[in-house]
Amino acid sequence: MKVLLVDDERKFAAMLAKRLVLRGIDIDYVYTGEEAIVKAGTQRYDVAILDVKMPGIGGIELERKLKELDPCLKTIFLTGHGSKTDFEAGSAEATCYLAKPIQIDELLTILREVAG
Amino acid sequence: MIDRIRRAFRSIWPEFYRQDKQHLDPYFTFTDYRKIWAIGIFVLVATALVPLLVITIIHYQLLQESVESELTLRAERLASNARRAVTFFLEERLDALRFTVNEIAYGQLTDPDHLAEILRNLKLGFGGLTDLSVISHTGTQVAYAGPFNLEGRNYSNQRWFIECQKHHFYVSEIFRGYRDIPHIIIAAKSFRPDGSFFLLRATLETERLIQTLSTYETGAHAEIFLINRSGIVQTPSKYYGDIFQKISLPVPAYSQRTQVAMAEDDQRRSIILGYAYISTQIADSPFILMVVKQKAGMMKVWQQLRSSINWFVGLCTLTILVVVIITCTFIINKLYLADKSKAETMALMEQSNQLASIGQLAAGVAHEINNPLALINETAGYVKDLFVLKEQFHQDDELIGYIDDILDAVERCGTITSQLLGFARKFEVKIQKVSLKEIISDVLVFHNKEAAYRSIQVHVEVPEDIPAIETDRGKLQQVLVNLVNNAFQAVDNGCILDIAASSAGVDKVRITISDNGCGMPEETLPKIFEPFFSTKEGDKGTGLGLAITYGLVKKLQGEISVKSKVLEGTTFTITLPTRIQKEISENEGSTG
Repeated sequence: MKVLLVDDERKFAAMLAKRLVLRGIDIDYVYTGEEAIVKAGTQRYDVAILDVKMPGIGGIELERKLKELDPCLKTIFLTGHGSKTDFEAGSAEATCYLAKPIQIDELLTILREVAG
Repeated sequence: MIDRIRRAFRSIWPEFYRQDKQHLDPYFTFTDYRKIWAIGIFVLVATALVPLLVITIIHYQLLQESVESELTLRAERLASNARRAVTFFLEERLDALRFTVNEIAYGQLTDPDHLAEILRNLKLGFGGLTDLSVISHTGTQVAYAGPFNLEGRNYSNQRWFIECQKHHFYVSEIFRGYRDIPHIIIAAKSFRPDGSFFLLRATLETERLIQTLSTYETGAHAEIFLINRSGIVQTPSKYYGDIFQKISLPVPAYSQRTQVAMAEDDQRRSIILGYAYISTQIADSPFILMVVKQKAGMMKVWQQLRSSINWFVGLCTLTILVVVIITCTFIINKLYLADKSKAETMALMEQSNQLASIGQLAAGVAHEINNPLALINETAGYVKDLFVLKEQFHQDDELIGYIDDILDAVERCGTITSQLLGFARKFEVKIQKVSLKEIISDVLVFHNKEAAYRSIQVHVEVPEDIPAIETDRGKLQQVLVNLVNNAFQAVDNGCILDIAASSAGVDKVRITISDNGCGMPEETLPKIFEPFFSTKEGDKGTGLGLAITYGLVKKLQGEISVKSKVLEGTTFTITLPTRIQKEISENEGSTG
């Protein structure tokens, strides 16, 4: 399973990536939507973990763009806003979300569920 | 019974008069409805009644003036007519005497038979004469014709004789004289060829004069009589003295004409007094004709009319008052109800606006805190991962314990920020089994230090058999934290705080939090769950704690109530279902 993590909180992204690596997840992380699009253009990912609120391209828009590149890509949203409603409106398919601060085990469970 | 009357009274009592709902006062367009009501009634009543009363008063005055003027006019007419009649009565008889003394020689007059003949003729022509006599200049009666034997009497000392010497003609007042019968003497003076004078004297019956006066219709409240110039009553009077007595009214001042005046009699009754000094063309008379009308009696008809008008005006006034009061009360009440409804809407809007603002603020704060929290979480998690996964430290339980503490704290912070966010948005209720004993002791952990420091005794009483309830732990915890915080702020050092849980029926539990602190006045109790209502001085309270608590309890499908007495303490009671209804929470979640 190849995972792409996109979050503008650099230290958070790095730390979460490290923890997932420790748990055997193959993960790449970038800090902006633009970088993510570039990355997705060069590499195929199974799951993308996207922060909802980011400067530039936000999580919802980024999901749409990434799906254009790879319709099979699954997404998990992270939000500091603790609410589901924001992105329910944006994407009917995005059923997975996690409120920050996240529980690593919960994230792992969801990752496995999403990746099938 | 009294209660029933009170309730009936309250039901018809206009709502604006009760002055409840004081918390809505700032939203009302008009502040003092009682004052508006009173002013409205005053203005309407004044507008309606002033013209009515003014017209009534003017009408009274006009009516009174016209009635008085009519009465005065009548009195004057009566007095004038009576004066003419009395004057004519005297004048006629004086003229007869004058004719007699001028036409018939002294010698013939002193002949008793001739004199008797003259008397008979005079009686036939005029009537009212009793006798006729000739008196010499010495005052001796030289001839007499009449029913009494008065011949030879000397009148030289009599007042009338003295008066007769001065004038050619004389009219006496009514007096009794030698014969002790009221009579009038009239006399005409003439001269004999030798230059000495003699008098032809006649006695007039007073009945004839009284009869003349009584022919004038005066009615029950008026009378007509004669007095002399000293005020002695000459003909009978019903009210103002018997004949030959002093009149109880003052003697009116001399006037050539008939006069009418308003006066008061000795018994302070208002009277209309008409009078005329009687005087013939050839001789003055001592008589004053009096016409006295008692005003009260004469004005009885007018007073009856006035009484009818008074009743009518009174009835009109009462009707106007009742109609104005009812109309005004109805309109003001409608206005008040409309204003109240507007005020309630405004209050509700302001409350929801305030809640929305707090929500936005809370969401902003929570979001900002969540990011650093997430970083702490991941960093601590990574450190723990390092310890656990890399094996070299996984035996160090102490270190792992510390890291777990950090992670627990982060999780708790996360719950709080989530709830802050949940204040603004519907957030999924996370149902789990919660032991009341456990959650209460968890909450008190936050306050252990403060309680010890301030010597506050906290008593917890939770029965062992009370079942765990299914509810949102985080929310319940926040409710308890808020209420315990509140209690700690309300009590002084050394006070007591009781927390108790008990069953409240089959599917409910009750938690009470009581303190013996300062308490709250009864009037503030309905407001304490409103946002921004704070009893704390200055800026100590945000006024949000209990509003949030209330919202949380409602979200837990529970009820919260408060009882408080100043200086005795406050008790908050929360009733919660033992099992929260999931459908409701899901509905709530989807509507957000």
